[in-house]
Amino acid sequence: MEGRLANSWRLTVNDKNFIKTALLSEIRIDGRKPFEYRKISIKFGREDGSSEVQLGQTRVMGMVTAQLVQPYRDRPKEGILSIFTEFSPMADPSFEPGRPGELAVELGRIIDRGLRESRAVDTESLCILAGKFVWAIRIDLHILDNGGNLVDAANIAALAALLTFRRPECSLGGEDGQEVIVHPPEIREPLPLTVHHLPIAISFGFFSNESILVIDPTHNEEAVMGGRMTTTVNANGDICAIQKSGGEGVPQRVIMQCLQLATSKAASITKQIKDAVEVFNTERALRKIKRHPTSTGVDVREKQN
Amino acid sequence: MEVDREDGRSQNQLRPLACSRNILHRAHGSASWSQGDTKVLAAVYGPKAGTKKNENPEKACIEVIWKPKTGQIGKPEKEYEMILKRTLESICILTVNPNTTTSIIVQVVNDDGALLPSAINAACMALVDAGIPMKHLAVAICCCVAKSGYVILDPTKLEEQKMKAFAYLVFPNSVHSVLPEGSLRVEGEPIENGIITSVTHGIMSGIHCCLLNEGELQVSNCLIFSGGTCNSSQLIHPKLGDLNSSFGPIISTDEDSPVC
Repeated sequence: MEGRLANSWRLTVNDKNFIKTALLSEIRIDGRKPFEYRKISIKFGREDGSSEVQLGQTRVMGMVTAQLVQPYRDRPKEGILSIFTEFSPMADPSFEPGRPGELAVELGRIIDRGLRESRAVDTESLCILAGKFVWAIRIDLHILDNGGNLVDAANIAALAALLTFRRPECSLGGEDGQEVIVHPPEIREPLPLTVHHLPIAISFGFFSNESILVIDPTHNEEAVMGGRMTTTVNANGDICAIQKSGGEGVPQRVIMQCLQLATSKAASITKQIKDAVEVFNTERALRKIKRHPTSTGVDVREKQN
Repeated sequence: MEVDREDGRSQNQLRPLACSRNILHRAHGSASWSQGDTKVLAAVYGPKAGTKKNENPEKACIEVIWKPKTGQIGKPEKEYEMILKRTLESICILTVNPNTTTSIIVQVVNDDGALLPSAINAACMALVDAGIPMKHLAVAICCCVAKSGYVILDPTKLEEQKMKAFAYLVFPNSVHSVLPEGSLRVEGEPIENGIITSVTHGIMSGIHCCLLNEGELQVSNCLIFSGGTCNSSQLIHPKLGDLNSSFGPIISTDEDSPVC
């Protein structure tokens, strides 16, 4: 398989110098300003809990499913939240199928800390029978296209999928109230999850000359930058997580500047997510009313051209 | 025999088809194919140097990676990979680029019946988008046999589970590839399509001829659709004039409209 390793993409020296020189005059190669985010588009699939987010050229799909399991011994009254990231080989020629590499694991951990440690998703409401049955929520994130800044896009996909997911309603029954009956969605309307706040991840890239800072790097900029930092903040101004693993050292005032920038961006992204979820919920309600899909027979000869 | 299907379609009616090409930026070719609610995304990374250990280095090699919507990769996914690989190997011209590997990655976005045919169609479109040399297009359809003996096309997931048997059939869009060299056309008789791949589940008895006829009807529909998407009139099957079934609205979009 050694011959196939020669196919990884590398940026040329000229390209790298061009990016760095342009940044000195505060110009980025895709025409953005240093503190400008790319356009975010959030779409949903037919099912509850499936989202597709496009951040510039980066594309991520999120899928939420739930299962009834036994809780952990030390937390008998809490549900379980787990995140699985799939760096699909379709996103980048250097992604190999099989076990997740360190990038995939790091991405999963950043999103996990943002959601779980900050108590964004209420896990106590997922408990049905303490010590016996709780809901385990599983979030699958599939990276479809790597255009840079996968963490932010994946985080938005996870949040959008969580907000539109509905879990089946269940009640206790049986002889001694120890059995759990799960009601199918046709009989009882499924319930949404309780999400207290939305932790948004915002990534920054640091470049070596004169500590230049950009927000939302593309994959060309990622190949050139000297260090990166991801801050997870919410619209209330709370800092949920900061991740800066290695790379070059950055002075303290730059970190504070990043946090302030992140808080202002988080507010606008939160609003965008909530608006998209609102549109989906309206459409879902309309779909419940309309039973039969409208499919009109079309004469083929007219369409072919 | 009139049949009541849940979404109000008739026996021969297909769900609305939709296809988009060139949707991903890093991949060399990409396509998404949806039949009703079933949606599949396929991406192609063009010829890379080297083949795998057990493959013939005198020919190009095709590698298929099937990514399910959620969960681990198990035996069903491996089976789909194998079926896709063999089908695509028979439609690509493998001698043009020897000792190379073309990877096709299929991602299931939503599964509502006829998953494997949608994946084959999406993979074929993605190969066209990447510009991989092919002999002809492959069109896959699904037909099933119900317990009472009637045949329906393009089932949804619920219908698939209730059926006695179903078959996935893949046809090429040009008869010449399956005719033996030098055979004469019989005067006045239309030539049948050959079958590239067929996967069946369940028991069928002598109904397969009926299935094939029904299958060919659906194939003609899909061919016009893929032919239109490719923007090339040479790929359309000559049996076009015999259509007598109807199907749902078609939406076809190209992100950049390249010439095929």
